[in-house]
Amino acid sequence: MFTADIENRGLVLDPRTKLAVMITLVIFALGGTGSDIAAVRIGTVMLSVLPIVLLVTAKQWKTAALFGTVYAVIKAAEVLLVPTLTGAALSVLGLCCMIFVRLMPSLIMGAYMLSSTTVSEFIAAMERMHVPQQITIPLSVMFRFFPTVLEEFAAINTAMKMRDIRIGGKNAGKFIEYRLVPLMVCSVNIGSELSAAALTRGLGVRVKRTNICKIGFRLQDITVLLLTISLYVIWILGIVGVIR
Amino acid sequence: MKELAAVLSDVSFRYGNSDDGALHGADLKITKGECVLLCGASGCGKTTVTRLLNGLIPHYYEGNLQGEVTVFGKNIRDTAIEDLAGTVGSVFQNPRSQFFCVDTTAEIAFGCENMGLPEAEIRKRLSDTVADMHIEKLQSRSIFSLSGGEKQKIACAGVSAMLPELIVLDEPTSNLDLDAIGELREVIAAWKAQGKTIVIAEHRLDWLNGLCDRVLFLEDGRIRNEFTGDQFFMLSDMQLHEMGLRALSARRNYLESETGLLRLSDCACADTITLENFVYSYGKEAALNIERLELPKGAVIAVVGHNGAGKSTLTKCLCGLQKRFRGSVIIGGKRMKPRDMRRCSYMVMQDVNHQLFAETVLEEVMLGADEGAEERALTLLKKLDVLAYKDRHPMSLSGGQKQRVAIASALLAGKKLLVFDEPTSGLDFRSMECTAKLLRSLEQDITVLIVTHDMELIDCCCTHILHIEKDASAAIPKHL
Repeated sequence: MFTADIENRGLVLDPRTKLAVMITLVIFALGGTGSDIAAVRIGTVMLSVLPIVLLVTAKQWKTAALFGTVYAVIKAAEVLLVPTLTGAALSVLGLCCMIFVRLMPSLIMGAYMLSSTTVSEFIAAMERMHVPQQITIPLSVMFRFFPTVLEEFAAINTAMKMRDIRIGGKNAGKFIEYRLVPLMVCSVNIGSELSAAALTRGLGVRVKRTNICKIGFRLQDITVLLLTISLYVIWILGIVGVIR
Repeated sequence: MKELAAVLSDVSFRYGNSDDGALHGADLKITKGECVLLCGASGCGKTTVTRLLNGLIPHYYEGNLQGEVTVFGKNIRDTAIEDLAGTVGSVFQNPRSQFFCVDTTAEIAFGCENMGLPEAEIRKRLSDTVADMHIEKLQSRSIFSLSGGEKQKIACAGVSAMLPELIVLDEPTSNLDLDAIGELREVIAAWKAQGKTIVIAEHRLDWLNGLCDRVLFLEDGRIRNEFTGDQFFMLSDMQLHEMGLRALSARRNYLESETGLLRLSDCACADTITLENFVYSYGKEAALNIERLELPKGAVIAVVGHNGAGKSTLTKCLCGLQKRFRGSVIIGGKRMKPRDMRRCSYMVMQDVNHQLFAETVLEEVMLGADEGAEERALTLLKKLDVLAYKDRHPMSLSGGQKQRVAIASALLAGKKLLVFDEPTSGLDFRSMECTAKLLRSLEQDITVLIVTHDMELIDCCCTHILHIEKDASAAIPKHL
């Protein structure tokens, strides 16, 4: 997870399209527009399912199936079950459903975005959007850093297993400290080595950087973008009062 | 008079966070087209010299720099590292931390992109480099799916594509096996043929025979001695060891021996540990296929084999760390499942930083042990020569000391099977000898497995060799 599997990417979307979907998801699914228009609601659901479809095209079957099932079950519960409930059951289940239905699509999209975008694509997209280098470079380092930190984390976990340090064990109180100290030491080491390597290869030269990576809007991008734009349009028209 | 590539005149350097100088009054002239080897024990200042040449000192690693360093006529103080990028290329030790992109093609192009070369030029350089280095197969791959040797090749390609005049390599082989080292040698030979200036800081020396024109021996931050390549590679192993250097060639390359278990020296191992049903695959790809294998109990066994032979899978299974592994181990007539194995085995990882958790060395060793074990812990620390540091933070120790703390904690927890993953990568002769001595001196009932490419270490301390290869691992004989 979080590493761009460039050997097996499926449907390639432009990074900017992914960003647009992400923002739209945050506004419509996470924030909840409160719009009563059926088209907006259906559009939001369609957009919420999109990350799962994208996972399928990237051949991440297991992840897609898992998220898809969970989302379908919770959405079904929200639509069918919650209206029939009253009292405590309503507040507990209703709250759970709301949190999951709202949060999940954005989280899945975020994970997909990280796992399907290469660093060069990301830098190229940021350049096209005229984002200054001072922002692009730290962000792109983070991109590279995520998978590495996860690798470190896995190694530390293994080491803890061998020492029998568990949540329920004797040293439960220090469980978090024991995990964080080595993680931080390793991350700092790797981070500083990574920056040194990047500097010796000319990252940060004042000349304009070229990018041989081809990004651009294709048919799939246009389709997805049309969906998001139409959502905004209907929503705003609803607010203005043109559609009811 | 030949043109000079780099000049260090009376250079001293002290890192900002240390009291001792890393380099004292070093004078060095490197002519264009020369291949120079810097050697010496850990902490002798060879890495510092490479960092001066690529500008990481003084621009990235801060400290007190005296004297003048010029690289191709540019004073290093007044030149930003980024601006040296087209002139000086650098290859580092750790493949995990020198890649910026996650796919190989972008990685090779990365430096050229930074320099702002036109796209057509980058594409041309990309295809030239790929053809020169014969890495067509490695194009458009994910970095995370490459082996250590392949990663190092991509790193070299990325440097090569920038067409630098001077190439600096800092311990480029510490994570490589012998085949990968052979390939790296070819890459460097090709650079040399193109007239590039090359500076290599290394512990492993044998692979550079015939490649280096000049060898500089450093000690305590001073250049002690200078040899021509021919002189240096005539030195005997004894002379090298006296200088704290690794031998030029191990007596034997164990990768050429037959697969299976081979006894090197006598060991009073009457009992055996039996591995049963050690079969494992990642998805459809079989990684390990050993039906039954008997290992002598109490032996020090080197596990050798090419990359991808299943060495690390074997050790992970043995320590009960591999998920979905169904095999078992029989020790002293008791059949152990992976869960039980986790209790009686311990792996010392290549990056030992992953397994030091506590605030002081003593607390680290005591972690998980009974309250009353403190006396035993102190005895153990004394035996492993780290008692003086018992109140220090484990992370503040040197690499070798950290390793010994990890071993101490495993021994105190009563682990009977110790597995080491490349314990000597990047260690100089004295530290290697120390590790070897320690492994030899462990008690008789402790069995040690060492996954290593270091033939000199094997000669120093192993009683047995287990050679496994991808297709031949099933062919291991059932008895010694």
